[in-house]
Parts: sequence; C-alpha cells; structure tokens
Amino acid sequence: MRLIVAAVILTLASLSAGQQEDPEARLLISKNVLNNFLVEGKDLTVEYKIFNVGGGPALDVHLKDSSFPAADFDVVRGNLDVTWERIGPGANVTHAVILQPTKYGYFNFTSAEVSYHSKEDKKEQRFGYTSAPGEGGIVNRKEFDRRFSPHVLDWLVFAVMTLPSLGIPCLLWYSSSRRFAVPPKKHN
Amino acid sequence: MAATTHKMFLVACLVFLPIFASADTCLGPSVSAETYTTSEVTVSTETVFIAQFTLTCKNGLQNVNLYAEVAGRMIPAVKTSKPNEYQISITDEYKALRSGTYEAKFYDEESFSALKKAKRNNEDSNSVTPLFSINISHSGLWQGSYIQSEFVAACVAILVWWLAFSAKSKLSP
Repeated sequence: MRLIVAAVILTLASLSAGQQEDPEARLLISKNVLNNFLVEGKDLTVEYKIFNVGGGPALDVHLKDSSFPAADFDVVRGNLDVTWERIGPGANVTHAVILQPTKYGYFNFTSAEVSYHSKEDKKEQRFGYTSAPGEGGIVNRKEFDRRFSPHVLDWLVFAVMTLPSLGIPCLLWYSSSRRFAVPPKKHN
Repeated sequence: MAATTHKMFLVACLVFLPIFASADTCLGPSVSAETYTTSEVTVSTETVFIAQFTLTCKNGLQNVNLYAEVAGRMIPAVKTSKPNEYQISITDEYKALRSGTYEAKFYDEESFSALKKAKRNNEDSNSVTPLFSINISHSGLWQGSYIQSEFVAACVAILVWWLAFSAKSKLSP
C-alpha cells in the first residue's frame, strides 16, 4: 500500500512569479488512500489535504472526485463533492471519505478536480487537480479472510470432527474402568 | 433629485441592514447526524473521524457557514452537494485520538469569531454557546487478536493428550 500512500503533491495554479504585489491564494492538494490493505467489501479511507501556501485566501474551494465509479465503490460515509467557503492563507484543511470497493482486482486511483477563486474579487476561477495515489490492488475478501482472519470457526469444526475418535474410546474406557476397577490393595 | 434618491436608498439600507444581519443566525437548529470512526488498523494508517449532518433552521436559513471545535481543533465544516448537508473530518495518529466520546461543537460565523477572541484573550471558551453539538463516539481500534487461534488449538491438543496419558499410566503401575 505504500505505493498508494506515496503522495506526489502537484502544484495547482500555474504560478507566475511576477505577481507579488497582489496577494493570491495558491493551493496544494494531496489525495491519499490510508489503508494498509485494500479489501473488497471493507472500508477504504481516502484523505484529501488542502494547503493554502499563497498570500491570500482561497474562496469557494470546490473539490470533486469523480474517480470512484458507482459500479465499483459504495460510499459509506462522507461526500465526494464538497465546498469550502474560504481557506485562509497559511491554513490547511482535511477532508475524508469512506468507501467500500465492491469488486476486487487492480484499480487506478486517479486525481480529483479542484476549482477556486484565488482573489477576493472572484473574477478569475482557477482549476487544478489533486495528487493521484496511483494503482492499487484490491484483495478478494475470501482471500483476505483466509490469510488474516482468526479461523475460530474452522478450529471449532476441527474440534467437533475429532470428538468422535477421541470421545468414543474415552467413554468406553471410562465405563469399563468404573466396572472393573480393582481397589488398591491395602498392605498391612 | 438624484442626490435625494441616493440618500433615501442609503437610509433604507441602514434601516434594513440590522434586519438582514439578524437573519444570519440559525434559530432553533435541528440536526440529524451520522458519524464514522476508524474501527480497524487495516482500514487506515490514521484514525479518521467523520460527522455528516443535515441542518434545519426554524427560520428557514440555508447555506450557513459553520465551524466546528472538536478535540481541541477548530475546523470549518464543508458544504456538500446536497442542500443543508455538511461534513467535518478529522484525521490524526492513533495515539492522538484515543477511544472515547468526543463532542463536536458547531458555531456560526458570529459565535466562532467570539470563540476565537475568547481563546486569544485566554478567557473561558465555555462562555460562547455553540449552535448545536454532535457526539462522536470512538470505540477504539481493533489491532488483531492478541493470541493466535493456532496457539490455543495446540494448547487444547496438548491438554487432551496429557489427560489421556496420565489416565493410561495409572492403569498399569
């Protein structure tokens, strides 16, 4: 999963170095999948982090992630289409969404789209993308359980299956030993 | 003539401004919330809290800017694509967010700036009453069982063998 967690933060906004006089927002946005294992039917945690490294506030920051098709993922909690009214200069915000993969196999986690106004006058809208976590393998639920589940039920079944071969001789011995047991001789 | 209309407009603005301003407060907020906390280590390398809620104000106010204070953090609530639905998310290390119930207090623009001011001046932040609050109960992380089931099974097998062996050794002295 390190491959997925490895975040390459992309610089949004084609930054022009000359515009220093007017404070302008610059957003850096990362998208990470926080899971240790990606498992079919288990929670998948996606985290977005937005940093405003510019001198001014970012307004109407709109984050939309359409990289999770409804056929492959269920949204458990959280939203993939959200808006922050304002992210101040030097501030950072976090957003998280919990999904559940409905299929197993390899999935390419691509980037989400971001749009915002970098100046107070809201004249110009900027567009950008988050970092992309990359390709990750979603493990089959059965395969995962075979490897990592405690197998309690399997062991109980094993115990029940071994019970006749152990229990029947034990009962036979117990009943005969009760009938024919010779009390220990007393030495006087 | 134009000057008087301007003045009239200005006066009208001054008269109506407080009315519009007072309408910014959400009266009688009712909230239906759903929360999520990370329950297993395999699911996330960090503990994640999510609270998602729909806010309804008695005065029909919509699109309120909300801020939350939870676990000592002050964060803005995001607006979702659905009307009047908001979300807050917190992520931190496992150790930083231990199991327990966390109260997320929500403030509007006005009360949030009052809260920030109170914090800045080291005043009691409880004096600022939140608009509403949501409890996030985190039941802790499941890190896998401490004892492997194979170990337990081996112990039981040894115990059964020992019982049988001791019974047999008693038979033939």
